Amino acid sequence: MSQATESPSTWKALTDLPNAVWRSIFRNPLPDSDYGRASTSFTNFFLHIHPVKVHQNSIRPLYTLGLGLMSFFLFVILVVTGILLMFYYVPSTTQAYDRMLDLRGSVAFGTFLRNMHRWSAHGMVAIVFLHMCRVFFTGSYKKPREFNWVLGVLLLLVTLLLSFTGYLLPWDQLAFWAITVGASIASYAPVIGNDIRFLLLGDATVGQEALLRFYVLHVAVLPAVLTMLIAVHFWRIRKDGGLSRPAEAEATETAAPPTITISVKAKELVQNKLYGLQGFVRGPFNKVGNVPDRSVFSWPNLVIAEVFVFVITLAVILCVSLAFNAPLEEPVNVMHPPNPAKAPWYFLGLQEMVSYSAFWGGVGIPGVFVVLLLIAPYVDRGNEGVGVWFSRKRLLANTIYTSVVLLNVIMIIIGTFFRGPNWEFISPWR
Amino acid sequence: MHDKGEAGEQGTTRRQLTTWLSSFGLFGSAILSIFSNLVFIKPRATYGQPQRFNIGKPDAFPPGTRLALEARRVCVVRDGNKLAAISTTCTHLGCIVGLSDTGFACPCHGSRFDQDGNVTGGPAPKPLPWFKISMAPNGELEIDKDVQVEPGSYLNI
Repeated sequence: MSQATESPSTWKALTDLPNAVWRSIFRNPLPDSDYGRASTSFTNFFLHIHPVKVHQNSIRPLYTLGLGLMSFFLFVILVVTGILLMFYYVPSTTQAYDRMLDLRGSVAFGTFLRNMHRWSAHGMVAIVFLHMCRVFFTGSYKKPREFNWVLGVLLLLVTLLLSFTGYLLPWDQLAFWAITVGASIASYAPVIGNDIRFLLLGDATVGQEALLRFYVLHVAVLPAVLTMLIAVHFWRIRKDGGLSRPAEAEATETAAPPTITISVKAKELVQNKLYGLQGFVRGPFNKVGNVPDRSVFSWPNLVIAEVFVFVITLAVILCVSLAFNAPLEEPVNVMHPPNPAKAPWYFLGLQEMVSYSAFWGGVGIPGVFVVLLLIAPYVDRGNEGVGVWFSRKRLLANTIYTSVVLLNVIMIIIGTFFRGPNWEFISPWR
Repeated sequence: MHDKGEAGEQGTTRRQLTTWLSSFGLFGSAILSIFSNLVFIKPRATYGQPQRFNIGKPDAFPPGTRLALEARRVCVVRDGNKLAAISTTCTHLGCIVGLSDTGFACPCHGSRFDQDGNVTGGPAPKPLPWFKISMAPNGELEIDKDVQVEPGSYLNI
């Protein structure tokens, strides 16, 4: 009490402390006005990757299916579980396999973390691929988004490399022979093939050097590259004018006057202004106050959608990791390859093709695929059918893409289920 | 800019030259550093199994021997007084081929080779390479897997 009379401001400061600290961190209260919603996205470090408003089409679940976000969240899960696994893993041929057994036997949540890491990795390869299909079938790689598509193709390749390098680390039979086979596929590249293989393995055969190299690539080099590419990929979404949408969804200047609320204050501020700093993007954007506004505030609409996708992704991974254990086979036996020795599933299409022709299956056809993917947006220049799934106007492009993708998927299915000992055709139902 | 009038073309040229030279220097350094990184990650010495090794005296391989040294991934063949070393790494996808009645057979994807390593079936694209085999000064046989020789070239002892 005496304190209060002597120095009321100090006492008040103390009682105010929790509030003061809270307000210094979160500068905006939960918003109840459009101005507040705008500031929430704008002033929060983690939220300001979003534009203040996004087009309604961008958060339509059936348009994006949340696949891009899912890929990103799987990557986040992989980084977290991967760092945790690093606390117990040793990239040494004499210790790696024992550490796997330790994870199973004596590390709290060891099995569970490894399951999460393994299933997220497989999931990421699959989801990144599906995301690419979504972008293609909605024609979203077209101008001005050509380069972001190229970045996406690079992201797919880095994802595959990450998964491939991680495959060796458990140092079991599956790992050893899958990498032996995979590295041999790489050596079919003309001229530099054997050098690539030697640089990758650091030796003539898969051994300690290869394990160390794959470890460094897996935990440092490739994640750094992937993070950089993701950053540019995300940044370009905004600079290219947000997610793609159909032309019909675009507001035109001749359309009816604004129907949606733009707060009085903002309207006064921007009366004579056609664009803000955020307007310096390529592609269409809404001129504030002049056109019907089909955008919604990122807070809370977009943020809720993102949290939803995150929760779903995490929940699925948790359930799968509880239900299924990541495989761990016998320790490496350099003398006795399993019969058949198979590459990781996403390379089984290649291995199947390699069994017909070494060069064409291992290098030629995949190389042509990748080049086709990279140049697709620069060849397919028409501007029609963007923003609609399976647009009739894009029948040709979609058909070509589907057949190329189907070919690989069929090869993967044959390689996975229909190939037995000596790579002979077997029936999986026997 | 202020002396553009006086310096005229000469000033511009000098500036352009500087720009060119520095761009060339920066770009060149970048190329050089990429190249040196590649040199760095290419090991000069490997720590795994040596590529050149001794396998013992010729007496250990009596005429008619076809002995696969699995750990070395090489098969020692002795035909009369002629010796050869044939790789047992499958040229398809790097598995270890085993000896079979007709030559070699790969357990992974079913490639088959004859006694001399020529492909007789399966997906293997190339015959099994032959390695250099020579007599070391101490009287032991030495195999160098870094040096391939023509199939059919034997060491006579």
